[in-house]
Amino acid sequence: MKITREVVQGLYKQTGTARVDADVAASFKVGDAIQARNINPTGHTRLPRYIRGKQGRIATDHGVFKFADSLAHGGGNQPQHLYSVRFDAQELWGAAAPAQDCLYIDLWDDYLEPA
Amino acid sequence: MTSDNDVALRVRALESLLLEKGLVEAPAIDEIIDLFENRLGPQNGAKVIARAWSDPDFKARLLANATDAIVEMGYEAVQGEDMVVVENTAQVHNIVVCTLCSCFPWATLGLPPVWYKSAPYRARAASDPRGVLAEFGTDIAAEAEVRVWDSNAELRYMVLPERPAGSESLDEEALVALVTRDSMIGVTRALNP
Repeated sequence: MKITREVVQGLYKQTGTARVDADVAASFKVGDAIQARNINPTGHTRLPRYIRGKQGRIATDHGVFKFADSLAHGGGNQPQHLYSVRFDAQELWGAAAPAQDCLYIDLWDDYLEPA
Repeated sequence: MTSDNDVALRVRALESLLLEKGLVEAPAIDEIIDLFENRLGPQNGAKVIARAWSDPDFKARLLANATDAIVEMGYEAVQGEDMVVVENTAQVHNIVVCTLCSCFPWATLGLPPVWYKSAPYRARAASDPRGVLAEFGTDIAAEAEVRVWDSNAELRYMVLPERPAGSESLDEEALVALVTRDSMIGVTRALNP
């Protein structure tokens, strides 16, 4: 295919949002204590190792998004809630980290279990 | 060591080949250059921040729904379809990283700098943000709270830096010059007037 001006315009005009307008129940609500599952998938995941098994709290519910882990392998959208989750720096990095510091990361429902 | 001259020659040779073989049309190349030089980049983010400093209603909208507030200013949504803006204050300092790759809000900040994509930044911004900030020359009070934002998934993050002391008399246009790309990633503060 020849790359024309229209092709380039199409690439950045199309909305790339992974947000889905689907009625999917949320497993958690803001304020809930959670633990990230300790999973070790061989394929694509957006759950980094430093978060696995760690405990945090739901800060924001972003709404329903396509699930990157399944999309990357042709497994379909598997739409589910995506949350901003707050972890204390000490939970992630140990007692030497400042007590008030923290890290926020966006995690899908499938990564989480109640703490 | 490759000089800028060598790179320019190589790019010209590649462009000629792509055009001669009919793979790319010249207007497509012009479009890409215009997009990344003029329409996407930190000059857009700086205008968003300057407006937030000048207009409390816009700031409230930006912090509540950054995606809509940025589109309201007329910027493209590319790699900024779902934006979050977090506010730095005297008590809270925010810093953005993508630990998994290089996710970055193109429309407001442009393409990510090389250091942002480097493994050391991606690892250390998460595990030792105060150390990284000190290397950027940014001192954080011991009692302040440092918040790291890992943009690992579908949201894209931008920091609203603190408005610098001494900038009270500046209008929105003059404020734009104080907002750097790095201050919107959160590794530095905005410039002093």
